[in-house]
Amino acid sequence: MRSSLMPFGPPVSRDRVITSFPKWYMPDACLQLKEHFHGQVSAACQHRNMGTIGLKLSKVVVVGDLYVGKTSLIHRFCKNVFDRDYKATIGVDFEIERFEIAGIPYSLQIWDTAGQEKFKCIASAYYRGAQVIITAFDLTDVQTLEHTRQWLADALRENEPGSCFVFLVGTKKDLLSGTACEQAEAEAVRLANEMQAEYWSVSAKTGENVKAFFSRVAALAFEQSVLQDLERRSSARRQVGDGDLIRVEGSPPETQESKRPSALGCC
Amino acid sequence: MEEPPLREEEEEEEEEEEGDEAGPEGALGKSPFQLTAEDVYDISYVMGRELMALGSDPRVTQLQFKIVRVLEMLETLVNEGSLTAEELRMERDNLRKEVEGLRRGASAASPEVSLGPDKMVVDLTDPNRPRFTLQELRDVLQERNKLKSQLLVVQEELQSYKSGLIPPREGPGRREKDVLVARTSNASSDKEEKTIIRKLFSFRSGKQT
Repeated sequence: MRSSLMPFGPPVSRDRVITSFPKWYMPDACLQLKEHFHGQVSAACQHRNMGTIGLKLSKVVVVGDLYVGKTSLIHRFCKNVFDRDYKATIGVDFEIERFEIAGIPYSLQIWDTAGQEKFKCIASAYYRGAQVIITAFDLTDVQTLEHTRQWLADALRENEPGSCFVFLVGTKKDLLSGTACEQAEAEAVRLANEMQAEYWSVSAKTGENVKAFFSRVAALAFEQSVLQDLERRSSARRQVGDGDLIRVEGSPPETQESKRPSALGCC
Repeated sequence: MEEPPLREEEEEEEEEEEGDEAGPEGALGKSPFQLTAEDVYDISYVMGRELMALGSDPRVTQLQFKIVRVLEMLETLVNEGSLTAEELRMERDNLRKEVEGLRRGASAASPEVSLGPDKMVVDLTDPNRPRFTLQELRDVLQERNKLKSQLLVVQEELQSYKSGLIPPREGPGRREKDVLVARTSNASSDKEEKTIIRKLFSFRSGKQT
C-alpha cells in the first residue's frame, strides 16, 4: 500500500484538483483555445494508462526584472500569502506545488529567479530543462515589459527550440484602473503575440487570477507531458513490433504536432 | 644700470615695511616696482610742499603744472602696474592650485590605473565589503535547495502519517515479523526519498552531464 502511495504523497488539497481544462485569460493571446483535454490524454488518464509515467513533474522558470513581483506571485499561489516588504531574491529559490489533474498526480517545480543583474550568472544556470517559461513584468512600468523580450531570449537560449510554453504575465493588476489597465494589457498582448506567449494579468496582493493562471500552466504542461509520453511509448512499441499498438487512440502525426507547443499557438 | 633694480627686488619686502613707517618721504625711497597709488600721493604731497616753499615765481608755477602732469602719469602707471600684478598673482595661484590638484589626483589614481579598467578597490574596513566567491554562493544555494527539497519530502511524509495514509508503527514490544516489515518499509522509504529528490533535481543533474 505504502509503495503505491508514496510517490504521490498525501492527497492534494481540493483547490489543486483540476478536472476540466482551465480557460485562457484572453483569447487573442493564448497558447490554445481548446476547452477540453486532448482526447488521447483523457483516455489515457481514464484508463490509468500511465504505467511508466510515475511521478510527473514539470519545471517552470519565472524570469523578469527585479521588483516586478515574481516571488510575490509564487508565494501567493504556493503559500497564499502576500508580504508588503520587498526582499530581493538571492540567486534562485523554488517551490513545489502538487496537483491532481484528470485524476493523475502532477507537480510543478517552480523556479523563482533573481531579477537583479548581478545574480543573472547564477540564475541562468537554472533555466535549462524548463517546460514552461514565465516572463513577468510590472503592469505599471512599461520598461519592465520591454525587458521581457531579453529575459525570454536568455531563457530560451538554454532550452531546445520549441520545447517551452511561454507565458507573459503582467503583475500588480490591483494598481491599475479600468482604462489604464486596458491600455497596458493591449500593449502586452501585442508583445505576447510576437513572443508566441499566452498573456495573463494578475495581482499577488489581491490574489486575482493567480490560481487560474497557475492551473492553466499546470494543465498545459501536464497535457504536453502525457502526450509526449504516449508518443514515446507508441514509437517504442512500433519499434519492437508489438501488436498492442491499437490500444493507443489517435494518429501519430497528430501527436507529433501537439509535441510542439509553439505550433499550438492560436494566434 | 641693470643690477640695482634686481637687488632692490630681492629686498623688496623689508623696504616696503620700512617705507610704511618712514612717512610721506619714505615713498621716495621705495623700489619703483613696489610703488602704490598711495605712495604717488605721498610723493605729490612732499613735492607740493617743497614747490610751495619756492614761492610764487611764475617759472615755479609752470614747472608745477608739468610736475602734476608727470605725477598723474605716474599714478596711472602705478595703478595699471598693480592691477596687472594682481592679475598675474591670481593667475599664478590658480595655476599652483591646478598643478597641486593634478599631482594629488595622479598620486591617488596611480594604483587604480595599475589595476586596470575592470578592477575594483575594496575597503577592508567596510563590514559589508564583498567577501565570498560566486562559487561559494552557488554551493550555498545548491545546498539550500537540496535541504528545502528534503524538507518538502519530510513534510509530505508527515502529512501522510497524520492523515492516516500510513499506519503508525507499533510500540517497542513487537514481534520479529513486524520488525522485518518495518525494516523493509524503512528501506523502501529511503529509496523513495532518494527517488523523489533525484526527480526534483533531475534537471540539474541532467544539466551537468
